[in-house]
Amino acid sequence: MRPENYKSVEHPPSHEYELNFGPNHPGIEGNYALKVKLEGDVVTEAKADGGYLHRGFEKLMETRLWMQNIALVPRICVPDPVPMEVVYSLGVEELGGLEVPARAQWLRVLHLELSRIAAHLFTFGGHAATTGMYSNMFWGVTDRDYVLDLFEQMSGGRVYHMYNVPGGVRRDLPDGFLARVSELLDYLERRLPQYDDLFFANAVFIDRARGTGTLTQEQALSWGVTGPNLRACGLSFDVRRDDPYLVYDQLEFDIPTETAGDALARTLVRRAELIQSIRILRQVIARLPGIDGPIRCPLPNPLAWNVPMGEAYPRVESSKGELCFYLVSTGGDRPHRVHVRGPSSMHAVQVLERLSIGTRIEDVAQTMFSLDACPPEVDR
Amino acid sequence: MSEEKTFPAIPPAVSTGIACETKKDSFLQRVMDGFAEFCRARSLFILHYCTGCGAIELPPAITSRFDLERLGVSPMVTPRQADILLITGYVSIKTLKRIILTYEQMQGPKYVIGICSCTVNGGMYWNSYATAKQLNEYLPVDMYIAGCMPRPEAVQEGLKQLREKIESGEANSWEDYFKRYDHYLGNQQHLFGDDWHTPTDVIGEARHYDLLGDESLGEHTVRLEKYLQHHQELGLTNVELEPENKELMER
Repeated sequence: MRPENYKSVEHPPSHEYELNFGPNHPGIEGNYALKVKLEGDVVTEAKADGGYLHRGFEKLMETRLWMQNIALVPRICVPDPVPMEVVYSLGVEELGGLEVPARAQWLRVLHLELSRIAAHLFTFGGHAATTGMYSNMFWGVTDRDYVLDLFEQMSGGRVYHMYNVPGGVRRDLPDGFLARVSELLDYLERRLPQYDDLFFANAVFIDRARGTGTLTQEQALSWGVTGPNLRACGLSFDVRRDDPYLVYDQLEFDIPTETAGDALARTLVRRAELIQSIRILRQVIARLPGIDGPIRCPLPNPLAWNVPMGEAYPRVESSKGELCFYLVSTGGDRPHRVHVRGPSSMHAVQVLERLSIGTRIEDVAQTMFSLDACPPEVDR
Repeated sequence: MSEEKTFPAIPPAVSTGIACETKKDSFLQRVMDGFAEFCRARSLFILHYCTGCGAIELPPAITSRFDLERLGVSPMVTPRQADILLITGYVSIKTLKRIILTYEQMQGPKYVIGICSCTVNGGMYWNSYATAKQLNEYLPVDMYIAGCMPRPEAVQEGLKQLREKIESGEANSWEDYFKRYDHYLGNQQHLFGDDWHTPTDVIGEARHYDLLGDESLGEHTVRLEKYLQHHQELGLTNVELEPENKELMER
């Protein structure tokens, strides 16, 4: 914030210099780097430098059995692994012609929405830290941890769950789980006004985020932006509503949008999505006890499961954007080709490079966090 | 082969004017050293470098839920001031180069902890073309915390054990890097190519710390000599070229 008596001063021209922003840098999200050219402290050119997290997922998946890949896919995106499992399972089910039992579909929705809440809380924390508000980072990370506790009760793992498998889910809920989810949702609803005071309605944050990294709707569409970043530009598109998968067509929820397209709008969309996720989860909690039945359809021997020949392109709305897998089977026990269409590879490379131009160096980190890019998924 | 054994080691260092006294010769000095170890074990700074997916368990470990700061552990943004290099998960080859550069910039005593199974044996990516499998081939590792991924409690427990090791004087793998530099450099060159070299004058540092051992120099460090001239121009080394090395450079 500038004081009222602020007058701009003519500074002598500063020479242009290049700065390596990352990979060992506290402002960068994960192991990722930007080569930034600066004129004074204004960015004139940014070049994304990825590949630090490349593990060759698409090749590795060709060398493993269809069921073994379940252990591999959540590792593609670390903060939000659940959509990866679900989208891979959906693809294999489509190829193999499997019918997923109703209860498993509801459990998947429960799992997906919990994961969305966890990922958004983590992003709020990270975004707040880049604007200097470390208290909110502590809050976001700690509240996310309560969701991770639920994941642990549900699947045994805090971060990586491997809960969704082709044909259903791995196990049913433990006793009293839905009550604990309900408690957590109550807690989060009580917390949201506190978050507003500290972060979303904070003048420091609003001044920093408003106008930073502004994206128009045309730019967003031509650069392949999806998810909350696209909805912050005013386009109401959500795979959950427009191309429903699982049981999302039986659930009531809104698609929050904003029109400004800047970092503030993106964050506010995420905040509204958190509320919608809570709303969805309440519906799931109300209806899940009434749906009995198996949680997994009978599968052939997973060690010798030759999935029929074909192609599948399932898509899922993850917390970062639209997530798709392109799976090709030639009738073998392993995938012939897998392509991961992740949202972050668009957001962190072409969009971040262009949005960084003209911003000041301290806002580059904020732009990256407001785009919610996930470096492990960029590099794969 | 026999002539390869008689390496004309890199010439003696020019005196830097700073004497490095490592011998504990008096009772007072031993007490002071023990006190320094005690303090050092209770004030550890982790380098803020998220090298892999295990880094996602560090925010919960450091922030209010598990709160590593109780143990005196806190993140630090620059390698020069950091004590611990946490390798959180798989190391792709591109990252490993940065890890080695970062590690050599850190000042001793420094500790390396490998978190996640991937640093132990490659873990989930055992057949990936893009990752280095065993971290301790390239860097001396003080401690491994296995798991995919280890819980924050495990990270805490690992750091507690490291504290005990530091107090008992066992956590001295950083000396191993100087003592067996040829071995580590050989593995690095095997992975990155024979042209691999870092701007840090590790041999000069080893000499400064009085840690230059029999295995510090060898067939792999000989390859570094062609970069000596370049380093000298940049003022990065305190080693002066002597005539016997010119033959080496021509070779």
